[in-house]
Amino acid sequence: MLAKLTARGMALTLSVLLFSTVVFGQKTVTGRVTGPDSQPIVGATISIKGTTVATVTSASGDFSISVPSGRNSIVVSSVGFDEQEITIGNATTIAVSMKERISNLNEIVVTGYTAQKKKEITGAVSVVSVKDLKSIPTGTAEQMLQGQASGVTIIGSGSPGEGSNVFIRGITTFGNVAPLVIVDGVQSAPGDLSTLRDLSANDIESVQVLKDAQAAIYGARGSTGVIIVTTKRGRGKNTITYDGYYGTQRVLPGNPWHKATPQQMADLLFLAAFNTGQVKADTAAVCPGCVVSQQYGTGMTPVLPDYIRAGGLSGVSASNPATDLSLYNQDYAKGPIYLIVPANKTGTDWFHALFKPAPIQSHTLTASGGSDKSAYLFSFNYFNQQGTLLNTYLKRYAARINTLFNVKNNVRVGENLYAFYKDNPRIGNNQEGNAVNNTGWEQPIIPLYNSGGGFGGTAGSELGNSSSPYANQVRAKDNKNFDWQIQGNVFAEVDFLKHFTAKTLFGGNLDNNYGFYHNYRSYENAENSASNGYGEYASYHSNWNFTNTLSYSNIFAKDHSVKVLVGYEALQYRARQLYGNRINYFSDDPNYLNLNTGSNTGQSNGNDVNQLYSIHGTAVLAKIDYAYKDKYLVGLNGRRDGNSVFGANSRYGNFGSVSVGWVASEEEFMKNIAFINNLKIRGSYGILGSISNVPASNQFTTYNSGGGNSYYDVGLSGTPTLGFYAASYGNASTSWEENEILDIGFDATVLKNKLDISFDWYKKKINGLLFRDQAAATAGVGATLPFVNIGDMQNTGVDVSATYRGKVNNDLSFSIGANFGTYKNTIVKIPGAAGFFETAGTHNTGNQVRNQTGHPVGAFYGYHIIGIYQNADDVAKSPTETDAAPGRFKYQDVDNNGKIDDNDRMFYGNPNPDFTLGINLSVQYKRFDFSMVMYGSFGNDVLNYTRYFQDFWPQFQNAKSGALLTDSWIPADRSLPRAQWTAVNPNAKYPIVENNSYFSTNGVLNDFYNENGSYFRCKQMMIGYNFNPSLLKKAGVEKARLYFQAANLFTITKYTGLDPEVAGSASTFGVDYGNYPPSKTLNVGVSLTF
Amino acid sequence: MNKNILKFFIPVAFCSLFIVYACKKNYLDVPNTGALDPGLVANKIGVAGVLVGAYALLDGEGSSAGTNNGPWATSSSNWVYGSVAGGDAHKGSDPGDQNLITPIEQWNATPANGYLDQFWQQRYDGAQRANDVLRLMRLATDMTPADTLEAAAEARFLRAHYHFELAKAFNKVPWVSEDQMYTAGNFLTPNIDVLPAVEADLAFAYANLPETQAQGGRANKWAAACYLAKVYMFEKKFNEAKDLFTTIIANGQTARGQKYALTVQFEDNFNPAMKNSPESVFAVQMSVNDGTGGANANQGDALNFPYGGGAQTDCCGFFQPSFSLANSYKVDASGLPFLDGSYNNTDLKNDMGIASATAYTPDNTTPVDPRIDWTMGRRGIPFLDWGVMPGQSWIRNQAAAGPYVSIKHTFYKSQVGTYTDASAWSNGFTANNYNLIRFADILLMAAEAEAEVGSLATAMTYVNMVRQRMVNTATWVPGSPANYKIGLYTSFPDQAYARTAIRFERKLELATEGHRFFDLTRWGIGAAELNPYAAHEATAGYGSMSGVTYTTGKSEYLPIPQNQIDLSNVDGASVLTQNPGY
Repeated sequence: MLAKLTARGMALTLSVLLFSTVVFGQKTVTGRVTGPDSQPIVGATISIKGTTVATVTSASGDFSISVPSGRNSIVVSSVGFDEQEITIGNATTIAVSMKERISNLNEIVVTGYTAQKKKEITGAVSVVSVKDLKSIPTGTAEQMLQGQASGVTIIGSGSPGEGSNVFIRGITTFGNVAPLVIVDGVQSAPGDLSTLRDLSANDIESVQVLKDAQAAIYGARGSTGVIIVTTKRGRGKNTITYDGYYGTQRVLPGNPWHKATPQQMADLLFLAAFNTGQVKADTAAVCPGCVVSQQYGTGMTPVLPDYIRAGGLSGVSASNPATDLSLYNQDYAKGPIYLIVPANKTGTDWFHALFKPAPIQSHTLTASGGSDKSAYLFSFNYFNQQGTLLNTYLKRYAARINTLFNVKNNVRVGENLYAFYKDNPRIGNNQEGNAVNNTGWEQPIIPLYNSGGGFGGTAGSELGNSSSPYANQVRAKDNKNFDWQIQGNVFAEVDFLKHFTAKTLFGGNLDNNYGFYHNYRSYENAENSASNGYGEYASYHSNWNFTNTLSYSNIFAKDHSVKVLVGYEALQYRARQLYGNRINYFSDDPNYLNLNTGSNTGQSNGNDVNQLYSIHGTAVLAKIDYAYKDKYLVGLNGRRDGNSVFGANSRYGNFGSVSVGWVASEEEFMKNIAFINNLKIRGSYGILGSISNVPASNQFTTYNSGGGNSYYDVGLSGTPTLGFYAASYGNASTSWEENEILDIGFDATVLKNKLDISFDWYKKKINGLLFRDQAAATAGVGATLPFVNIGDMQNTGVDVSATYRGKVNNDLSFSIGANFGTYKNTIVKIPGAAGFFETAGTHNTGNQVRNQTGHPVGAFYGYHIIGIYQNADDVAKSPTETDAAPGRFKYQDVDNNGKIDDNDRMFYGNPNPDFTLGINLSVQYKRFDFSMVMYGSFGNDVLNYTRYFQDFWPQFQNAKSGALLTDSWIPADRSLPRAQWTAVNPNAKYPIVENNSYFSTNGVLNDFYNENGSYFRCKQMMIGYNFNPSLLKKAGVEKARLYFQAANLFTITKYTGLDPEVAGSASTFGVDYGNYPPSKTLNVGVSLTF
Repeated sequence: MNKNILKFFIPVAFCSLFIVYACKKNYLDVPNTGALDPGLVANKIGVAGVLVGAYALLDGEGSSAGTNNGPWATSSSNWVYGSVAGGDAHKGSDPGDQNLITPIEQWNATPANGYLDQFWQQRYDGAQRANDVLRLMRLATDMTPADTLEAAAEARFLRAHYHFELAKAFNKVPWVSEDQMYTAGNFLTPNIDVLPAVEADLAFAYANLPETQAQGGRANKWAAACYLAKVYMFEKKFNEAKDLFTTIIANGQTARGQKYALTVQFEDNFNPAMKNSPESVFAVQMSVNDGTGGANANQGDALNFPYGGGAQTDCCGFFQPSFSLANSYKVDASGLPFLDGSYNNTDLKNDMGIASATAYTPDNTTPVDPRIDWTMGRRGIPFLDWGVMPGQSWIRNQAAAGPYVSIKHTFYKSQVGTYTDASAWSNGFTANNYNLIRFADILLMAAEAEAEVGSLATAMTYVNMVRQRMVNTATWVPGSPANYKIGLYTSFPDQAYARTAIRFERKLELATEGHRFFDLTRWGIGAAELNPYAAHEATAGYGSMSGVTYTTGKSEYLPIPQNQIDLSNVDGASVLTQNPGY
């Protein structure tokens, strides 16, 4: 099919080429472009107005361009300068003097298949400053976008190479919320941000974010917004530049988990035993009322042991013969494990055993140049970010070749090619029991290493169930996760018949991921793995789009500007994944382990079924932009999309938008208002679509077989017989999710062009929200239910951005920009009988998040604590509550029926922020520059689930918060019957420390974990110095800049966990299971141009 | 000019249209990958495979329906719902571990408890897999009437089982027939008394299944008869039950053609090397080292092993027998249990609060039923071939969960790697079958039916058959210092005595096998048995049971899972009715 299609595509291209040889009468104009200091401007664009004929200036600022007959104006533009339009008249030589730009209205903005000047745009588009973008030192480009565009929410993590959540104008789907990413005209696979993530920041020319209905030109891909990235092309004289920085990432200081010391842990164990009454009975002959601890002895106060483990014993004194090192064995091959583990009485700092300062560096070498015949850019980037967490890192080698050839005056061909290779082992970020989480769980009395040189761990009594994160991460050193990708396109453009341009583009992304991992037999933990193992995996993803457009541009009767674009597009996504795993290897030597050398039994291999698919799409599209006197603007666009994931009868969807703009400042009556330099009022409305994350299998009812799922030993042979099971129910009528988007806004430039303001109000309504159906178990829910279109969701919000530029004198200028985004999300309808669905299930507390009609997406749901029961009277007067007792939580009786039950759960937290705010500040003083980016999220809640383990004693007696010892509810007189207890500290923050979980403590999910997740972070701060070019010349250097930079310098927050920026999925985010915190980074960098 | 436009536009437009329309038809037709089209299974071989798939969920694991809490929530042995809730054992382990079990143990689970929803989903998935056989078989053109009858009989046996599991736990539940399915949209039906339908399916299976099967893991005629008789007991149809039991005891045989009989050694019923014995009426087949990473092993019991200190596994110390159960094995001078409840007056000596390093002498004077040490590990008594049970060092959190460990679902040291899965993360993935019904269970139910409507003498004979096995000293734990004693009943003076004796015998014989709670509900004596039990356990040192109450009229059944009530909403009201008291 691909071959067939490509052949047809070539037919089209050829026919385009054939008809393009028509030549019209023309003349040549030459000239020079200079800046304010009469220095030549290199790489300025000269274009013939009303056509797409263009060239760029050479190193000397000179240009030469052929002017088609009937054309009489050239337009000169260059980054940082005001665009100029010059009438040619009879001239053949033109000198152009450019003025530094103080307004951004003439910026060229890519708005989907075409580019427009900002002043002509009728939609809501955020243009991201590439300079600010580049200044964030991170290996993931989407994190660079944070705080740069209003209405764009980015939630990242400190884990090198980890993807971020990106929401444009909030969350509008339960499935795939990631925006469409278009890099040089190549569309990403649905939900895939990786083509953006791994871009080298120095290669980026511009980034635009389409936020409103105008994204309808991307039809079924536009509803979650579109991020359009254009990479650099060579221009002007041949230059070589080097950009590099080197720095160090610092870790959180102090005791970030607020952990108890070993003595405090022992005291807590005794406190719990006293509170629970698990003490020696009064009638016992020895030590009545004493606590019996296997680690800390029997008595009224704990005594820290010398050894926490010696053979099968816990709480061992140094004199015990069991601590004889000759007994020690950690090797399963040599016989039973025998550990001798000393107590670390001063306490092990597990967090800082794993998190250590780590270097980060980036080096980019770029060679580029261009003439009116061709342009090239070659760049190479080496990026190496060592994680602050042991054995996590991102190393990436990337190369880019972008070229463009003006084959004839009206024919351009070119390509963009980006290839990279990366090595990026990561942890399962924000997952319960990951390395970050385990640094919080591991008790401080446990040493990093035991007496025999092996790892220390939770093996032994009363030490919890954590697995040693240190041992795990040290062992992870040989685990690898590689990825190499090729992204790019080839394209050809032909101008003909004056007003027409045809363009064909074929581009895509090939992603190859492979890696391997080792599982070791652990001996040091409370729960150990009985076998060693090795696994290897490889996956392949590809996507391509073949896009053909024909555009027409003309101006009628001077005042009527018309631009029309029609196009056709075909798309495809494919994926495969293979994996294999073997266990029970003779040796743990990582050089020995491969898939052939393991045991014959216990091997597994296969395809990941979710990664086996091929999705095809087609689209026809059209776009019309009309402007009258540059004052009244109208844009129309439409697209018809077809996609193979939907059934034959519901495969196609029509999408479109209309947008209008009124440049009020062009009206005569406005021209007298001096402080308004420009004012454009805009509005747009459209219907966009999404396939969300509907899988390729959605329309099919299928059966399948699986060893664990449907095999059974009916033959009593020990080898199970093949069986089948209903695997999925298909739905052939599932179709596109439709987003209705209304946007009203304005762009204004005021105060002598010093202040740009952009404001948008929007409403997004999602009809036929795609949602995996949920059904009662009687339907047989072992088979996967299909996605259906029955949900509805609505977002309303406001985006505002403003930039103020000031110039104090010739030496000092500054700019300050702010962008602000707020949205209110409401789920209008959830399908199925229940009207809600729950996510974020943990086996400890059940589901934490309920998505329910009338509430925002991702809301936290559970019991609301109104206090701690203080005494028997308090319990008696309160509604009936299971396990109610003094010292435990009192829940709110939401339905006022005098009884606390399931109906009393309520929505207590909302992870959606009230607003996000980004602030960009830059100051230029002589040769110094200073910049700062701040980002904040306000009014969002975080469910700090890590506190479930830290603040409740029964959770396996892993490490606890030290504050429990003094700030938990402590009974005044334990000799009284329990029901009569009162506290010595009635204002305690924590409930009574007990040995068991109860409904009224942490047995069910309540809002104990809910915290204000607001934060304001100094994302980066930088001071640079530009050396005097005249001094540099001798060294053959044209420009040189040295800078010092600090990223994540400070964060203002009340959040008590490691970091309030907590990612997740579309329907579950802001739940902290152990999030890799971002690091404070200090860099020194240099940029050199030769 | 116009000519040029035409010259250009016509071919371009033509090409574009050509691409759009030529491709449209098949470019977007992408076949599914990685799964079977229904047409490929709607035939004799396919239906046979789907039937195996319906068996495959007997082990409580494998369904993708509701897996949040792990296979322990859906274990075939019902250790949580039958034994822990029934007072045979405590949850065990650390109090915080799997703490959703705690409210079930305390008979106050809320409808939102994730264990219940998962159990519900898994059993209904099993029922629908059985229904898939009945549906697909109608589409198959290569099946003879005999083929379909056989397939239908096995499928209906399984469908009855899955529904019965639900009825035991939740009482009234929806019945799902082969006509109800997701695609038809008719799967929401009220919860009703499904036992008549279960009975009908089992009667059909009894009538149409062969006496023996080439594949011994399948249900046969007699397995269906036994299951049917068991259902009669739950329906209190004692006459029908008695007659059927009489037939079964006279003629019943396993699918492999072995006449039903008690094994000589009691412990063989729980030994993976001796499984599918003549006592095994119908068992859930477990297999290991079969390439599935332990997925066909007895995963539901994988947490229930002595913990650490050189014990069987490093996981996870759940399912620790109760003080009361230990006390129940105390016998009087004639080797008979204390039917008056006095067994709990004092606790059998145990090592609560005594470190493994501290010397301890197990009780060697108090006479106890020898079955105790095949049921629960006690300090100082040999534990299978693992050596003498060392006490605290095999217990995860003795202060919180007591001094005992359970035995019946475990394995021998010599079986590591052969009857345990070598590819799983723990040795706790075993090939130990779960006996859904074993012949001792049949004898005791038969005794019960006789006592209710027939002859007390016959009832006593059946009880004594079960006890007789243990009289043989060769069946006692070798090398045990305990003072074993067991005697036979000499008379059942009246019906009340017979009932008490038979019920007590079920507790002793079938302890930790997942039956107790359902029996108590069936007998209507939950509060009478369990409230004193809770009080005793709290006193003995199991803090979780303090202040816990079994409420008559409520605690007999688990609440219908809230999630299912919510999902069964039709026009604003749920078709499901919540159980009383919740």
